[in-house]
Order: sequence, then C-alpha cells, then structure tokens
Amino acid sequence: MSIKEQLIEKAKEGKVLTHKCTQCSQLHLSNVYYCQNCGSKEFQDEILDGTGSVATYTIITVPPAGFEKYTPYAFVVLQLDKTNLRISGFMAKIATPKDLPVGTRAKITGFDERGIIIEKQ
Amino acid sequence: MEKVCVLGAGSTKYGKLADSIADITTQASVAAIESAGIDPKDIKAGYISNVFGVADKQVHLGPVLMSNLGISDKPSLSIESACGSGSVAFREAFANVAAGFYDCLVVTGVEKVTHTGTEWTTTYFSYCSDFFYEGQAGASFPGLFASMARAYLTEFNATEEDFARVAVKNHENGLLNPKAHLQKKITIDDVMNSAVVASPLKLYDCCPFSDGASSVILCSEKFAKENGNNYIEVIGSGRGGSPAALQGREHMTTIPSTKIAAENAYKMAGITAKDIDFAEVHDCFTIAEIVDTEDLGFFEKGKGVQAVREGRTKLNSDISINPSGGLKSKGHPIGATGVGQVVEVFDQLTGRAGARTVKDAKIGLTHNFGATGASCAVHIFQSV
Repeated sequence: MSIKEQLIEKAKEGKVLTHKCTQCSQLHLSNVYYCQNCGSKEFQDEILDGTGSVATYTIITVPPAGFEKYTPYAFVVLQLDKTNLRISGFMAKIATPKDLPVGTRAKITGFDERGIIIEKQ
Repeated sequence: MEKVCVLGAGSTKYGKLADSIADITTQASVAAIESAGIDPKDIKAGYISNVFGVADKQVHLGPVLMSNLGISDKPSLSIESACGSGSVAFREAFANVAAGFYDCLVVTGVEKVTHTGTEWTTTYFSYCSDFFYEGQAGASFPGLFASMARAYLTEFNATEEDFARVAVKNHENGLLNPKAHLQKKITIDDVMNSAVVASPLKLYDCCPFSDGASSVILCSEKFAKENGNNYIEVIGSGRGGSPAALQGREHMTTIPSTKIAAENAYKMAGITAKDIDFAEVHDCFTIAEIVDTEDLGFFEKGKGVQAVREGRTKLNSDISINPSGGLKSKGHPIGATGVGQVVEVFDQLTGRAGARTVKDAKIGLTHNFGATGASCAVHIFQSV
C-alpha cells in the first residue's frame, strides 16, 4: 500500500498518519521523504487522533466541478491537537461564518471524493 | 555577471480576446520587438510562459512564436509555474543573459481561457494548489485566499471594508490604463454588495479571468547601448519558495516565498524596501495585496491594512502600489501576468505610462507568485 493509500485508510478511521523524523523528532505529514528541519530521510510512523480546532476556513459558494451538489460548504484548515501540524479538508453544510467561528473544535471523520472529511465535534 | 537590461516591451489588451493564443503571443512579441527597435534576427532564443495552452489547443508555443517571427531556427522553451509563470520565465531569461549565454532574448507570457467559462477555470486553476489536500477538498483559489483573509481578520485589526479599499484603489488606477480588462470605477459599497465567492471574499475582491499576452526584450548592457534606444536596467532578481499547501506554513497571513525572494532581490540590488518608488505586486485577491506589501517590507506585519485605509498606497502617495491597476483591474492572464508587470515598469521608467505615471520614479519592483505563493519571483528595475 502506498503512503497516500495508508494516509487515506487512517483518515477513514478518524486518524492522521504522520512521519516523525528519527534524527530530530520533527513531525511531518506523511507525504514528505526528507525532513525539512534536518534533511534526514529516516522516519517512524506516528498515528495521531484527527482532532483539533479550526485554524482558518472559507465558505465556498462558487465551487469547482463536482462540488455543485454540496454548495455551500467549508474548506477547513484544522490545527491538530498537541502538535504543530495542520491538515486541510472538506466540511459539509456550512452556510455562514456564524456556523464556524475560528477555534471551533473539529475532527477528521473520513475520506471520499471530497478529500479528507472534517466535521464539527 | 553581465548587467541585464529590458530594451523593449509590449502587451495586447487584457480581457476577452477573439484571436487565438498563438496570435496574441505573436502580437505582444511583435510589439516588444518594435518597441526595442531591433530586428527579430537579433533574438537568440525565446522564453514562453503559459499554463493552460491546452484550453486553446496549443501547447509548445515557443516554436510557433519563433516561426511567426521568421526565426524558426532559434531555440525556445515553455515555463509553467502557475500564476507566477511569467516572472519565473523572466528570471530564467535574466540568468541566461547575466551568465553570458545569450545577449538578446524575447520573453513572452500568454493565457487564453475566458472562452472556457467560470466552472472550467475554477476547476483547472485548483490543480495549481497542493491538490491532494486543497483542490480535492473543494478549495478554489478564491477559497484559499479567503482562508488567508479569514486568518488575517482573526489575527489583526482589519475589516472586510478594508479589503474592499484595495479593489477601489486598483480600479481607479486601471481606469487610467487603456489596456486594462476592468475599466470601471467602483465604490466600497459595490464591493461589499457583490456576490460572495468564498467567504469573506466577494466577487469584487477577486481579479478576473483574463486573456492576454505580454512580452519584453531582455539583453546585455552592451547590446542595449549599441542599439541606441531607451532601456532600463534589472538591478535585482530574487526567487523563493513556500510550503505548497497553506496548512504547512507557520503563519497563514504571510507568504514565505515573497520574503525570501524580496530579500534576495534587495541584496543583489544593494537597496532596501524604502528605496522603491513604486511596485507592481500580485493582487490576485484584495487580501493578497495587503499581505504582499507587508512581506515585501513596505509595511510592518499587520499594518498593511492601515496603510490602505490611509490611502498611502494610492498612485503618487507614499508608495504607488499597482499603478497599472494590478491583477484586480488590469486583469490576470495567468501566464502573462509576471511579464506584464515588467511591461508596466518599463513604460513607467521610460515615460510611456501616460496619465498613470508615477512622478519622478527611478526604481520599480515587480512581485509575482504562483498559487498561494508556493513559488515567487521579485525583480527590481532602475531607469538609466
């Protein structure tokens, strides 16, 4: 299974597959092959809970192809708990900024044709 | 390193154009050649910047252009770096002249997409993001910049009306530019009442999808002097990178590649941000211009919005930002934009900018990036 497929499998379980550098302990999303901090290419898998808070977001009303039936929806950047990592995804049924103040608790709940799925906790 | 000069420059009008991508590429290049007063046979190679040639059934534009110019034996290449393609092509051409490989090059940027419609462009442009995390999750480009705008509103003392002021200013400048796409005076209310595209950004916070081509002739100082026409000197060239996705950036209200590129360009030129008389910056969305003016060092982080509120970035104020009208009003043919900014600087510094002339300007800066600033180039020019 490719790393991306593993990441998708974990997202479906509400988890995030990350890579921890064995040299400097820097945590990365699992798509990196070399550490940005120290250049090492040795990583160990670390599975995080996909929980956190909304770092920023937008509500899309003019969507790309395939998203018409979901509009309006939010694109969310999620600050993961207990780490400096953020991860982005799709959040359904958000219509106005009142629905999603920055800082709202949220979690990864799946993966489908809309990419990583995030829901409010 | 050879001194590098811009000897000529030309653009088509930006907007909805009827002619083919090959035709507008050639038209802009011919305008640049005539402005430079050279013979096409003086050109040693062609650098073409373009992203979606496939939309008009013509990629590999270089040989088509060179054939149309009667120099089909000369080499050419195409460069794609999303909305930053033009400045990246310019940089590669600059490096080749500076290294002494060539003494005269044509750099032409072009885009033709308006015939495809909003859904096609919104979808295809999203492929310039870090698609697995962003485009795939439904993030359009307005959506990604709206995410930066939301972060800015959260972090700093700013309002959506402040963003609107950037659009109003750039439309004022664009009214003075006969080649601008959106030649229309607008008010803050017009922006605030326009349809929401990606909250908090509204239609008038967004640049248009445009067709257009821009071209410059780049040469060694020796070649420029022998030619005898007006020219300007490239005194700084810098590039930088950022994490491809917004999520990977330490701060979502700053674009790291801009800071790195600007630092490199200022260092090469031996000047600082204070020495810049005017700048063409990448205002694909109103929030972007505010972030750019901070990252380029014109204002402190979080203070760019105040500068806009106080009118300090208007034409012939403290620092004229986007005298051409910027991407917002002049238009954004994505492959052409970075070259078009150089055309504006050339026109400004050689007395061809008409009613939008920045008074007594000697030093101009261009800033152009791809995607949400994942790639960036900054160039600094000086009148001779």
